[in-house]
Amino acid sequence: MECVVQGIIETQHVEALEILLQGLCGVQRERLRVHELTLKSVPNLGVVSSEVRLLCDLDQQPEPTWTVKHVGGAMRGAGADQISVMVRTMIESKVSKNALRMFYSLGYKLDHELLKVGFAFHFQRAAQISVSVSSVNKMPKIHAIDEAVPVTPGMQIVVVTAPATPENYGEVAAAVSSFCEFLAPLVHLSKPFISTGVVPTAAAAAASLMSDGGGTTL
Amino acid sequence: MPVKWVLYWQPNQGSTVSTQILNEAAQCAESISGVKEGRWKATLNYYKPLLRDQSSTHHPDSLPRDFLGISLPDHPAKYYFIIRSQRIVVEADASIQIIMEKLQSYKSKVSLHFDGFQYHLGDFRLRVGRVVPVHSESIRGIVMEVEYLPISSMEKARKVMEEFVEIWHEALSKRSLSGKFVNVELNFGEFGLADNYTPQHTGVQYAIVMAHMIATVQPAVRG
Repeated sequence: MECVVQGIIETQHVEALEILLQGLCGVQRERLRVHELTLKSVPNLGVVSSEVRLLCDLDQQPEPTWTVKHVGGAMRGAGADQISVMVRTMIESKVSKNALRMFYSLGYKLDHELLKVGFAFHFQRAAQISVSVSSVNKMPKIHAIDEAVPVTPGMQIVVVTAPATPENYGEVAAAVSSFCEFLAPLVHLSKPFISTGVVPTAAAAAASLMSDGGGTTL
Repeated sequence: MPVKWVLYWQPNQGSTVSTQILNEAAQCAESISGVKEGRWKATLNYYKPLLRDQSSTHHPDSLPRDFLGISLPDHPAKYYFIIRSQRIVVEADASIQIIMEKLQSYKSKVSLHFDGFQYHLGDFRLRVGRVVPVHSESIRGIVMEVEYLPISSMEKARKVMEEFVEIWHEALSKRSLSGKFVNVELNFGEFGLADNYTPQHTGVQYAIVMAHMIATVQPAVRG
């Protein structure tokens, strides 16, 4: 399980967001360059049609590493409505580099692929929180990551996630929510698929952060 | 990691496999100065595709009829998939099993346990175990792992492995058993594996050994 919120930010304010995050997290940012392939089952395979993601972390040394990720449905009901983050099932498994070939053999086809480029912070703040800020790129030709172009030029996506369990998701959700409040001047974070647009005050907040290097508490 | 060979018991024509063979093999290991180190266990699953419309003409012939998943005692956090028809072996975290369940596209139809004792003989580790379906006691076969601890190159270890197996056959022949342990010659290169031994080599060996065992070994009515 994981708690997740996301939002969008104009690329021109990303540097300010990075300064703010650096101050809040107290850890070094990590580069993010992930090739994400979404696969879907062929028509007659499976009780229901299914989808699985393969993530290739291109920056890992000595060679890129692969992860299979399955994202399940979001928690529903009155309890879920009361919290401001999405709680959903999510399972990951590191795999050897021939996992794509395996899924092709098992009857999965490439649905779409993206290249996410940006940075991420991983830190402990009442929960194990990860924040990623990235531009989402699409490929003009299959697997042509060197020719990737932004899906939404001038706009980047911010995703905050934290692993949770059925026992502790309430506390984790609260930790994620309270962390998101610190970012509110620059980016508005909400449950995925509920777009809230960019923050109108972002330009002013960014200008303030850039001028004093993030030293002032907002 | 050390080179390992996986052998299986092939009974003579007309005879069956039983726990008696396992006991004899255990005694044989001790007779050649094997020191018992305790039990070992591995689990293997056969996954088969779940098709929405069984009668549909859209049966994807390109799908494998089944593939194997195996967890190995030396690498409990990992899981190995082998698609024999496609010559694919994949290493994954153990959590991949939950992902497969969630996808509902393939289902584990048959699960088998391998369990038995392991022995230490100088630079060798020997494991002998029975093959039994989960939730059953009826023995389906016997496997033996021979591991040569100092060497991780398949090619460099070949001679010493062959010699060990020869000594083993000789020791076992004194017990007049109706059958023998068989080593299956394998081309690991077909699976994209190099000479340096990895757990994926073990996964492939189990997949091939099981195919041979199913094709040649008649289970006893009662194990």
